[in-house]
Amino acid sequence: MLLSLIPVLILAILFGNNSYLYGDTVHEALKENRTELEGEDKNIYAEVTEEETEGADRGATIPDPFEGWNRAIFQINDRFYFWVLKPVARGYGFLLNEDIRGLFSNFYSNLKGPLRIVNNLLQGRFSAAGIEFSRFLINSTVGVAGFRDCAKECFSIKERFADFRQTLGRYGLGFGFYIVWPFIGPSSPRDTLGMIGDGLLMPQGYLLEKSFLTPEMISLFAHEWVNNLSFHIGDYETLKKAAIDPYIAMRDAYVQYRKEVIERGRD
Amino acid sequence: MKVKVTVIGMFLIAVFFPFHLFGATALEMVKANVIDVLSVLKDPKLQGEEGKKTKMQRIEVAADRLFDYVELSRRTLGVSWNKFSPEQRKEFVALYRLLLKDTYIEKIMAYRNEEINFLKEIPLSESTVEVQTSVTAKGGPAAIYYRAIKKEEGWKVYDVVIEGVSLINNYRTQFREILGNNPPETLLETLRKKVGKK
Repeated sequence: MLLSLIPVLILAILFGNNSYLYGDTVHEALKENRTELEGEDKNIYAEVTEEETEGADRGATIPDPFEGWNRAIFQINDRFYFWVLKPVARGYGFLLNEDIRGLFSNFYSNLKGPLRIVNNLLQGRFSAAGIEFSRFLINSTVGVAGFRDCAKECFSIKERFADFRQTLGRYGLGFGFYIVWPFIGPSSPRDTLGMIGDGLLMPQGYLLEKSFLTPEMISLFAHEWVNNLSFHIGDYETLKKAAIDPYIAMRDAYVQYRKEVIERGRD
Repeated sequence: MKVKVTVIGMFLIAVFFPFHLFGATALEMVKANVIDVLSVLKDPKLQGEEGKKTKMQRIEVAADRLFDYVELSRRTLGVSWNKFSPEQRKEFVALYRLLLKDTYIEKIMAYRNEEINFLKEIPLSESTVEVQTSVTAKGGPAAIYYRAIKKEEGWKVYDVVIEGVSLINNYRTQFREILGNNPPETLLETLRKKVGKK
């Protein structure tokens, strides 16, 4: 996940000074978009028949003031996926069987234990935080540095997901607007902030006593990325194939999914 | 004598009346139809070109029993539905059906070797429920929810929610973009092209 942060940081450095220039526009664009959306919603309310409103979601939306930039990056990411990521993840999946890749998934998931503990605490889910703490202890020891999810397999203690993006959302922070980052894909100011927060809670940097931008760290994150993707080849293709406008389909799926993750946190 | 006839009559009704279908819950109905689709997909007898053809036909029948395409269309378009002429509505439903069938089959195909658990049903309104299923995949379980509405012929699915992403909401957002500045005909043309390609 942190590998995906690197371009954000580079961009932040590159475009850092310009952000003032964009500041006002963002605000204006946001406002405009908001009123537009509200208007639309009201219309739907006024005209829709009983049948349609009943039980049907009005659908979450997100302002997209930088659609031009976003569409351009979406295209680049699309190429990058088909030309680089997918062949690499396929080859990787061919070399290592599912069980071995599953061990790596466990390993990387266990490294996210601390951030789940902290975020569960931040969200006031204390028992979940406790459960994640015990999971981290069990899996780091009996689970051989996290390669086995022994907490789940031996003791039926299931993961209690929480991350900083969810925490910010549950605190009532909205998306802001839609932004597509190179390599990472769909995001928003809130989720970008959340990702940076999560990155700081990853133990890799502390364990290796290295900064996040060393070759070792980058390869570690790249491996996590490819390993994770090897289980999900085809997901993006399905979305793209089913879509009338893949860009909009992706944007909407992102909004709906992130909303669901925040709401799921309420159970 | 009369009592005897009544008792026998009641007995016969009890035996032959299809109570199991009458009181079928949404979960049972969705389960039966989803399993139907899957069993066609998995059928080892349906191999090769001939088998493929039969397979597609049988999936179509099973999918038609599972979904209510008019309901799907109305809910996807919302108010925009009213902008369509009756003929256009009819064509939209037909095109949307083809698109959804492909999408759904593609999605369900990816899960054909995994185990589907039909968890529970949650009422959404007086006439609609959400049937929650979980698919155990190697990369982690996936939540697939079917939203169904009670119709005369039983429960019909009008939305599929995969990992929190509602299919009709996703299409609504895309259609809205087109219908914002264009007449319904533009959307129909887009759909014709999209479906024709396959």
